Amino acid sequence: MGQAQLPPAQDTRTPQPPDSGTSSTSTAPTSRELWTRSRGIALAVVVLLVAAVAIAAVRSGDRHGRLDPRSADPQGSRAVAELLADRGVSTRVVTTVKEAGDAAGPDTTLLVTDPDLLDDGRQSRLHDATVGSGGRTVLVAPGSPSVSKLAPGVTADPAASFDSTLSPDCALPAARRAGSADVGGVRYDTLVPGAEACYLDDGLPSLLHLPATTDKDAPSKTGDNAASSPKSNAEHTPRKGSQGPSEPSSRGDTVILGAPDILFNDRLDEHGNASLALQLLGSRPHLVWYLPSLSDDALDGTADNGDDSFFDLIPSGWLWGRLQLTVAAVLAALWRARRLGPLVPEKLPVAIRASETAEGRARLYRKANARDRAAAALRSATRTRLAPLVGVPTARAHTPEALLPALAGRLHSPGQDPHALLFGPPPGDDAGLTALVDRLDALESEVRGS
Amino acid sequence: MPVTGRTALLAALGSLPVGVVAPSWTGFLAVNAPLALACAYDFARAAPVRRLRLTRSGDTTTRLGEPADIQLTVTNPTNRPLRAELRDAWPPSSWQPGTEVSASRNRLDVPSGERRRLTTRLRPTRRGDHRADRVTIRSRGPLGLFTRQGSHRVPWTLRVLPPFTSRKHLPSKLARLRELDGRTSVLIRGQGTEFDSLREYVPGDDTRSIDWRATARQSAVAVRTWRPERDRHILLVLDTGRTSAGRVGDAPRLDASMDAALLLAALASRAGDRVDLLAHDRRVRALVQGKAAGDVLPSLVSALATLEPALVETDARGLTATALRAAPRSSLIVLLTSLDAAPIEEGLLPVLPRLTQRHTVLVASVADPHIAEMARARGSAEAVYDAAAAAQAQAERRRTAEHLTRHGVTVVDATPDDLAPSLADAYLSMKAAGRL
Repeated sequence: MGQAQLPPAQDTRTPQPPDSGTSSTSTAPTSRELWTRSRGIALAVVVLLVAAVAIAAVRSGDRHGRLDPRSADPQGSRAVAELLADRGVSTRVVTTVKEAGDAAGPDTTLLVTDPDLLDDGRQSRLHDATVGSGGRTVLVAPGSPSVSKLAPGVTADPAASFDSTLSPDCALPAARRAGSADVGGVRYDTLVPGAEACYLDDGLPSLLHLPATTDKDAPSKTGDNAASSPKSNAEHTPRKGSQGPSEPSSRGDTVILGAPDILFNDRLDEHGNASLALQLLGSRPHLVWYLPSLSDDALDGTADNGDDSFFDLIPSGWLWGRLQLTVAAVLAALWRARRLGPLVPEKLPVAIRASETAEGRARLYRKANARDRAAAALRSATRTRLAPLVGVPTARAHTPEALLPALAGRLHSPGQDPHALLFGPPPGDDAGLTALVDRLDALESEVRGS
Repeated sequence: MPVTGRTALLAALGSLPVGVVAPSWTGFLAVNAPLALACAYDFARAAPVRRLRLTRSGDTTTRLGEPADIQLTVTNPTNRPLRAELRDAWPPSSWQPGTEVSASRNRLDVPSGERRRLTTRLRPTRRGDHRADRVTIRSRGPLGLFTRQGSHRVPWTLRVLPPFTSRKHLPSKLARLRELDGRTSVLIRGQGTEFDSLREYVPGDDTRSIDWRATARQSAVAVRTWRPERDRHILLVLDTGRTSAGRVGDAPRLDASMDAALLLAALASRAGDRVDLLAHDRRVRALVQGKAAGDVLPSLVSALATLEPALVETDARGLTATALRAAPRSSLIVLLTSLDAAPIEEGLLPVLPRLTQRHTVLVASVADPHIAEMARARGSAEAVYDAAAAAQAQAERRRTAEHLTRHGVTVVDATPDDLAPSLADAYLSMKAAGRL
């Protein structure tokens, strides 16, 4: 009958159903909200793109067509190519290391415009192709990592030349005929015997002519020298004006240029630049102009080095099937990743047990071996329970004079000493405490039973 | 991207023709372009979620442990049929544990221009207001390759009321109340009783209660009957501070206190007394005042529904002041708090005289059966230390109770299951003794 009064369907305090009428309840943002939210990001993206395009436009001017024999820009090299063509030297532009290697030959000059763009694999491949070809290789301003690979035994000095225009100061006929030229740039040092050092600045050359070597012994010999006698540098420093080959050798030689300036259109007519360039590049009837590019993937497509990767060996059907399976996996991931709405948060209730303080106190007693306190608490509890049983007011339960006489009448089993039990000293160890509790229980049950 | 498992499966099957028949870009495109076209078609034919209209109806209140049904009506005003998966999201405690996922999700087909009604069955595991979160709908195209997904906010609040498990004690307590009321033969004349009626003398009646004046007017001997005073004022004060947060069994002390308060309120409003309620920790959490007898219990239940223990020390001074304002005349103040020594001795005892000066005070506290269990522990050193700590805790509780008794306060200290009947008994005996 109590239930009749209970739940309160029409209680004024219960929440009223809100009016979810005609207005849309959708949480999807409207196009206006989308615009408001995204316009900041859109603006930032636009600014970024404009800045990128502007910077690219401004910065691209000086590098565009640089050292390209087809470019008439100030930094292009069309003038040199034209002059060479007038003298019967054909120029061919290649952009991959494979083409460059294939084109190398005894009657060919290979010009590498930017050796630093080549990675290790391409550098060693190029070196292997040129060293035995018998042609001339001209390296334009290689940095220290690439020069040691392309021309073993040569090192680049970290400090660049102070002056760009230098005088030849050596016996190389081409240099002597050309006179001073704009070759000052990277400076080199070499241990290769027979190397000719020209255009010295502060003792180090900016133009280095390495004579033809046999492809077998040259790298190992210089390697031995460099390793075994580092202090004998003086013996092996390039001999100035020694008997360098004045005629193009039938075996391949290498020329290292410290700076590309003598090849630029706008610098060709200064000093002896044109003369030096024509002599260096026109020693053979063919000139291969290698413009290294980052898109050169000739190395990857080759199948002649025998260490094909796993994917080169499996049939292409597997590769395409795998690509399609990847698409399927991405779709499956997208399918599974989509949640049907976000998680719903909720405040968690407090979970503290009310008995925690008592349990904590028990652990403290145990840790501190507080047998005196524990025994006192247990004895006091027993006394409080005993007092009403034997007719003593609870207030006087803890005085021996009141409790013990009343208790004596109710105890019949001999050998018990209620005083020692209820008011005695605390036990000495845990076993004593356990025994004390058992005896207190026995006393209480005896009083209850009597 | 809202693709489906079917799309991924088709793409995976497509690896066979791509790998076997035409391992090239042509084969790759020949498989994926039709798939993309089919997805685009599906997207175009799927009903747009944004334009659906959703409304709710159904239960606004339920009792803890009982289910509540909430209806959700989905209207599809578009010209494309809706084939959708729908999730009606509610806070985790609104569901029966373990069924959150299955109970909140529904499959739904609404033809163009029609509407359908779904029923979401909640079975809350916690008291209080449960607010609906969003409704998320994933609408599929006819091929089942591509979906549109969106959410709607359709607000609804379900108030989960305290379970009031102690209502099973109400019939027996009401029977005792009727015995007091003079409807049966027991008649006690004393303080706190008032004149009820005259009736004919039967042998055994107290001769002192014979009304001679009325007897003179009648032919038979008339006696006066008395009944306990009615229209007394009872103020239930719930302490919702940190001591009420401790869990006894698996419910906080506050829940046991609420249960006891509800039984007492039900009983007292039947007995013709006026019941008010105050919940307080550092500020007033709930105040129900001046309700008519038939209205008091629903109001109390609703006010208690959202009450949660606060982890702050109760401000006993503020509580006393508020209680004194809420109980204007001499009334019974039932304080449901805990008998922990520190909060009582430092908080309540100094201000108790202000309450006892004008009112009768009854303090009810939830005892922890686990402490009693610990006190009986025997057998090992650990168990004995547990028993000692429990004995110490019980002694402190008893001492606090004695302190309160000395101030003229009636103390009821019982385990959660016994608290409600014990408090009702205490009330009935006070009523019988005319101490209200």
